[in-house]
Amino acid sequence: MPDVDVLVVGAGPAGAVAAAHAKRAAPELDVVLLERDRAVGAPVRCAEGVGDAGLREFAEPDGAPWVARKISRVIFVAPDDSEVKVAERDVGWILDRTRFDAHLAALAVAAGAELLVGTEASGMTRTPDGRWGVAVRGLRGESSYRAKVVIGADGVEAMVGRWAGLDTRVPARDMESCAQYVVQGIDFDPDAIYLQFGDAVAPGGYAWVFPKGVGIANVGLGLVALKSDGRNARQYLDAWVGRRYPGGARTGYTVGGVIVHTTVQQTYADGVLVAGDAAHMINPLSGGGIVNAMKAGRLAGCTAAAAIRAGDTTARRLATYHHAWMALLGQDHLKYYRIKQALETVDDAFFNALARTVNAIPQERRTLGRIFTHALVKHPQLIPVAARFFI
Amino acid sequence: MLDGPPGGGYRSPMRRAHAAEVAVVDLAVCDRCGLCLPLCPPEAIHLELSDLVVDRQACTGCRKCVAPCPVGALAMVDA
Repeated sequence: MPDVDVLVVGAGPAGAVAAAHAKRAAPELDVVLLERDRAVGAPVRCAEGVGDAGLREFAEPDGAPWVARKISRVIFVAPDDSEVKVAERDVGWILDRTRFDAHLAALAVAAGAELLVGTEASGMTRTPDGRWGVAVRGLRGESSYRAKVVIGADGVEAMVGRWAGLDTRVPARDMESCAQYVVQGIDFDPDAIYLQFGDAVAPGGYAWVFPKGVGIANVGLGLVALKSDGRNARQYLDAWVGRRYPGGARTGYTVGGVIVHTTVQQTYADGVLVAGDAAHMINPLSGGGIVNAMKAGRLAGCTAAAAIRAGDTTARRLATYHHAWMALLGQDHLKYYRIKQALETVDDAFFNALARTVNAIPQERRTLGRIFTHALVKHPQLIPVAARFFI
Repeated sequence: MLDGPPGGGYRSPMRRAHAAEVAVVDLAVCDRCGLCLPLCPPEAIHLELSDLVVDRQACTGCRKCVAPCPVGALAMVDA
């Protein structure tokens, strides 16, 4: 049974950043990073969009090989197909997640962590000396590790949290079912992301077009199954893509779940931290989770390293991770979740009316803040909804 | 610590006795995305060697995993 200090389960953005930061914070520690799939970053279960400022905290995107496209406009599409263009400088990037995740994992290895691909954790139990025995199977057969701290960065299925006794379950209304095609040979603004709302398109969520290049995009949607008409996400997507891009070649597809809830009640246990999707650290309004995962990974790696150095990896000590996360973004997510709940009361007519109002504003003066103000002036009936945003 | 899920009660034998149906997965359709795992109140769905497995003993027949599956890989059968 090999002894390690930190065992990170899952080499996505949360896990790779956690492993790198644990090793940088305390170079004497043995840090092992496990990836279940045979390649880091594949399969891609993601629309691959990321905000500019958050990304730059971790990697320099200009000219990087893991970037697919820079984004400088957002085009909101109302249920009646009317479009509202909002130009903002440095909106964000569409990544090539396969390359990006591999880049982050390589940074972890460069920092001194050991990466094992094609290797999954299959269970874990507490050892008498207060560590975790983690059963592992993979390319080298079955084995087990004994770790002082296990960081669960294992995505939506969140098995590490479950094994540690944390409650990582999600109510059905806070799970978005997503499907996405890579579509080629289609006509759209390659510098913009498109977001379409509407009960017929993606009930409880939205549909997106995220460009990966000129004429090629991730085209997908997320919906809340409780609000669907009985069709699943892929069937909704087939209808939407068929209508918008009938001539496009669907050269790839992916599906997955996005948890649009708030951070799990407890992100730590004795010798355990959970981070990223595994801890529900996703913006419940946008469904975005890449930067959140990296920020949580940084906190988790540093917290684990400091705890091991101090010789105290109890839940009591590791709770500092939870508090730091809540102060950094967790509290914001609670606010966004209330906005999401308020938006559940608005219907297609609201979005159509809002699009008409906003299109009356000259495009160069169309900022998100101004849109919001004008929306309230022109549609005073929205004020109660808007007021709930700030409660 | 590992007795069961916090806020449990879902694994009581009484509940299981009443489950007339249980969920099954069609592995030919399943994409192994993991979406259904956190939706399952008794945590009866697992990924084993990357294949989805439903624990028929633990499944309560609540159907919460069925509609959200993006590809329709889950269905109910008589227990």
